Amino acid sequence: MKRAVIIFLALIVTFGALSGQAKRPTIMVVPSDAWCERNHYVQEFESYGEVTMVPDYEKALRRSSEIRLLISYLADFMAKEEFPIQSLESVLKNIKSEESDVVSITSSESGAMIIESPIDELRRVAKPDIILDIDYQVKRKGPRKQVSFNLTAYDAYTSKIISGNTGVGSSVNAPVETLLEEAVLSFKDNFLSGLQNHFDDMFENGREVVVTMRRFDMADHTFDEEFDYQGDAVELADLIDLWFSENTVNGRYSLNERTQDVLKFEQVRIPLYGKNIAGRDVAIDTRGFVRPLVKMLKDEPYYIPVTVYQKGLGEVWLIIGEE
Amino acid sequence: MDMGRKILLVVVAIMVVLPHLSEAQSKREIKALMESFNNYEVTTERVAVDGTKFVKVWGYGKKVDAAIVQAKKNAVHACLFRGLPGMETAMPTPAIFKSESSFDEHKDYFIKFFTTGGDYIKYINVTTDGVPSGQDRRQVRGGYKVALYVQVMYDNLKDRMEEDGLVRKLSTGF
Repeated sequence: MKRAVIIFLALIVTFGALSGQAKRPTIMVVPSDAWCERNHYVQEFESYGEVTMVPDYEKALRRSSEIRLLISYLADFMAKEEFPIQSLESVLKNIKSEESDVVSITSSESGAMIIESPIDELRRVAKPDIILDIDYQVKRKGPRKQVSFNLTAYDAYTSKIISGNTGVGSSVNAPVETLLEEAVLSFKDNFLSGLQNHFDDMFENGREVVVTMRRFDMADHTFDEEFDYQGDAVELADLIDLWFSENTVNGRYSLNERTQDVLKFEQVRIPLYGKNIAGRDVAIDTRGFVRPLVKMLKDEPYYIPVTVYQKGLGEVWLIIGEE
Repeated sequence: MDMGRKILLVVVAIMVVLPHLSEAQSKREIKALMESFNNYEVTTERVAVDGTKFVKVWGYGKKVDAAIVQAKKNAVHACLFRGLPGMETAMPTPAIFKSESSFDEHKDYFIKFFTTGGDYIKYINVTTDGVPSGQDRRQVRGGYKVALYVQVMYDNLKDRMEEDGLVRKLSTGF
C-alpha cells in the first residue's frame, strides 16, 4: 500500500515537472545576406517575374572554412548553456529531400507552383525560434589583420531584434581563425545577456505574435455584424476583441486595423502554456493559442466557419466564411 | 575579596564584553567592505581566453597587502554586480546580477563570500607576481592604492551563482 502511494506521488511530481516546462526555443546560425553577397555565395532567384540575388548557404558552408569555424564556436558556447544549435548543414540536407515533395505540390485552384525563398525554406524545415545572423569582415593593413563583426539575434516569430552585437577585434599579425575566436569571446557574454533578457520577458509577458482575421468575399458574416451578448447587441469585432483581452497575458495586445473585412491584432502576448485538444497542459504555439477562438466562432450562437492559415511561426490568419 | 571570586568576576566580565567587541569589529569590517565596493575602478585589458576576463582593478587599503586583497575582491564584485566596461577591441561584459541591489538581497551570503580568504578567491588568478610598483602603486592619504592585473574566472563564478540558486540559468524554465 505504502509503495503504491509513493509511486503515485512520484508520477504526479514527474507529470507536474513535464507539463510545467515551456518548449525550448531552437536556435540556428545563418550567415548574413551581406556576407554571402560580399563573398559571392549567392544565386539568382526568380519570384513572380522578378529576379533577385539570394544567399547560397550550401555553397557558403562547403567553401568557407571560416564561417564553419564561427558556427562551431557559437555552437560550442550555446551547448554549454544547454541550448544546442540546429545545424544549418543538416537542415540544408533535409531541404533537399523535401524539395521534390514541394515541387510536386501545386495550388488546387490556379495550378501554380509553390514559390519559396531559401530563408522561407529554412524556416519551413528547421522552424528555428531564434535566428543568429552573423557577418564579419577581415581588413588587412600590411601584415596586420583586423576582424569587424556583427551578430544579430532576432526572434523568428516577430523578426524583432533580441540582441545586437557589433565590434572590431585587435589589429595583429595572427591567423584569421584566432581573430574570429577572439571576436566570439568578445561578444559572447553580452549576447547571452541579451538572450536572457528576452527569455525573462517571455516568461513574464508571454510570447509575442500577430493574429490577422480576414473574410472570404463570399462569407455570410462581416466583422461589424451584431450578435446578442448578455442581452445587448454587440459587433462581432468587439466580441473577438473581448476574447483577446481575456486570453492574452495581462491583456497585452493591440488591435491595429479594424474594418468590416479585416481585424489585425499585433503585439499579441500569448501564454507559453495552454491546453491541448485532450485538455492537458502543454507548451503552445500561435495556432494552439487561437484554437479556442476558432471553436468559439464555430459554435453556437455564431456558427461561423473559419479557416486557420499559419503564416510563418509567429503569425496566424483566421479567414471566416469557409473551412 | 578572595582570589577565587576575583577570577570569577573577571571571567564573567570577559564573557559579557567579548561578544560585543567581536560584533563591533565585524560590523566595522562589513562597513569597510561595503564602502570599498562603492568606490573602485576597473577596466578591461584585453579579450581573455574562454570563460575568463582579464582586467586591471584598483584597491585601497591602509597597507599595500590590504589594498591587494581589496583589489581582488573588487574584481569579483565588478563581475557580479557592476559589469566590466568595454574597450576598443573588447565588448563590455554585463554583470552576472542584473542589479547592484542583489548584494543587499543576499547580504549574509555575500558578506561570507567576500570575507578575506573567502570563496571569492577561487575565482581570481593574479597574472603578475610580486607587489605592484611604479604607476600601479600610489601612496594616498591614509594608505595605499594599488592596481592589479587579474584574470577572473567569469564562467565559473556565474556557474557558482546559478548552482547556489541566486541567478537563473539561461535554460531555466525550458
